[in-house]
Amino acid sequence: MSELATLQRWLTSIIIRPGKFHDKILAADHTYELDHTRVVRSSPAVSGTERMQIYARGYVLRLMECLRADYPILQHLLGDALFDMFAQAYLAHVPPQSYSLFDLGTNFPDFLLASRPQHTAEQQQFDLPIELARLERARAEVYRSKGTESNTHGTPYEQPVFFMFESEKLATPPCLRLLKLQYPLISFVKAVEQGEQPPIPPPRDSLVAVSRKNYTIHMQELEPWQWHFLHELETTGNYVQAVQESAPLSAMPQDTLWANLMLWVPVAVDLGYISKQS
Amino acid sequence: MHMKTTTTNRLGLPNLGLGVGLRSKHYSYLMRNDPVVDWFEIISENYMNNFGYARHILEYVAGIRPIVMHGVSMSIGSTDPLNTAYLQQLKELADFVQPVWISDHLCWTGVAHINTHDLLPMPLTMESLQHVAARVQKVQEFLGRPLVLENPSTYMEFEASTLYEWEFLSELVRRTGCGLLLDVNNVFVSSYNHNFDPELYIRSIPHHAVVQIHLAGPTSCGPYLIDTHDQPVPTPVWHLYRLAQELTGGVSTLLEWDANIPDYPELIAELNIAKAVMRDEFPDVPVFRAEQEVVPTPLDHQMQVEHE
Repeated sequence: MSELATLQRWLTSIIIRPGKFHDKILAADHTYELDHTRVVRSSPAVSGTERMQIYARGYVLRLMECLRADYPILQHLLGDALFDMFAQAYLAHVPPQSYSLFDLGTNFPDFLLASRPQHTAEQQQFDLPIELARLERARAEVYRSKGTESNTHGTPYEQPVFFMFESEKLATPPCLRLLKLQYPLISFVKAVEQGEQPPIPPPRDSLVAVSRKNYTIHMQELEPWQWHFLHELETTGNYVQAVQESAPLSAMPQDTLWANLMLWVPVAVDLGYISKQS
Repeated sequence: MHMKTTTTNRLGLPNLGLGVGLRSKHYSYLMRNDPVVDWFEIISENYMNNFGYARHILEYVAGIRPIVMHGVSMSIGSTDPLNTAYLQQLKELADFVQPVWISDHLCWTGVAHINTHDLLPMPLTMESLQHVAARVQKVQEFLGRPLVLENPSTYMEFEASTLYEWEFLSELVRRTGCGLLLDVNNVFVSSYNHNFDPELYIRSIPHHAVVQIHLAGPTSCGPYLIDTHDQPVPTPVWHLYRLAQELTGGVSTLLEWDANIPDYPELIAELNIAKAVMRDEFPDVPVFRAEQEVVPTPLDHQMQVEHE
């Protein structure tokens, strides 16, 4: 390994490893056969160790700020101390690899899920934060995904027949996320964003669509037949197949579902749940 | 004292005038008001693979003002292989934005595929110089344009270093034909942290290669300075700016402000101090002293989103 490569691996390991700073330096010295007092220059005012610590401390503080910006409602729910504890553990467990800070929090919901205690009774306390993290992550993804804003097909009300006779061209857009949550969280999230202190909602199944229309993010709870239809349309990419497969999942006769969709699809197009492929 | 000035070259790139960074905090203001400034700089990574409102705003702003793309994750000094997926996305964004130039930093952000999202200092050695020069040439070939590299603020130096940073950059320019983004605040911060003369630094770089200048406000933590981008530009940095503009013959100026970002009119007022400074009217602004722990190179401004 070149001297440059060795120095870079040595410093990276000191910056990203969890643990006490002095222990991290000694471990890196041992692994890369270096002596930190001979690697980093000291001055009378600031020792080499203090200089390295600026980078190590900055790494954690900077990325913690990014995670807080990514999951503000979760931070509100958990409180600063508990949120920071999980965020710090996450960064130690999954050091960032992507050039994009947007990817930093991708695996945070899964990390929280994997961090749940083994006992069922305690597990339930973790369900709400995990579900909230999933919803916040979905919103962040929808915010950046390709949307339907550049579509020039007009509103479904201007073109009332295309969804009836050209259903093969209907698809879910990339900026749609469908979530099955164990808590009704939409009102909770909106209240926190208004600066309120809403009560924690009791658990209940909640089928949610997160979508984007004219660059505005929308969250809405859906009826089971609506959610299952969209989910099957997203999975299969085929309107007829989506109807066939979502009807039993919704415990609804197919002809009823067909009739419901005749009325609802224009609304779904308008809300950005469905778009017309060119 | 007679000041030696250079024949303006800037790699043939224009002097765009005074600009600011495009930040999400100002999106709604910019959609309703005249941007006033001559040009904008974007953080490239904020807009790469981002097809939401930010891209929409970028398209609008690029239609009315020149744009420069400034990156933080090329990691030109890393011993990892060049990230071709990153470069491809950078090129795709450049095809969309048509920036006047593309810049990044003389630094590395991590190794073993880890990105610390920090601008880590290079050991300033001949080995590093050869390594970085080879990579700059590859990037320039890929992008089909010169790369412009910024001097970072640094808080540590390697005992192995045998070159001053200005010597390293001068030789890098000679070998690769790359441009320089001279951050006069970073020169000020590093000179304080490593006890060198910031004026000597600015006098020693190849002025014909300086394409752009960065201004920002640092924070004093007592025995060292941190590049926080969250304060007004202090008087000593304005003096370095004046010197750099004189030596280069005049280059594009960009005010960076990335934390505690002021409202747009206040930001523009700070930028306009540059005009007074060029008339030798210097503001009396001390270096801000921190009362609490500060974050170098703040990034959370990149995460701000707006919901319904």
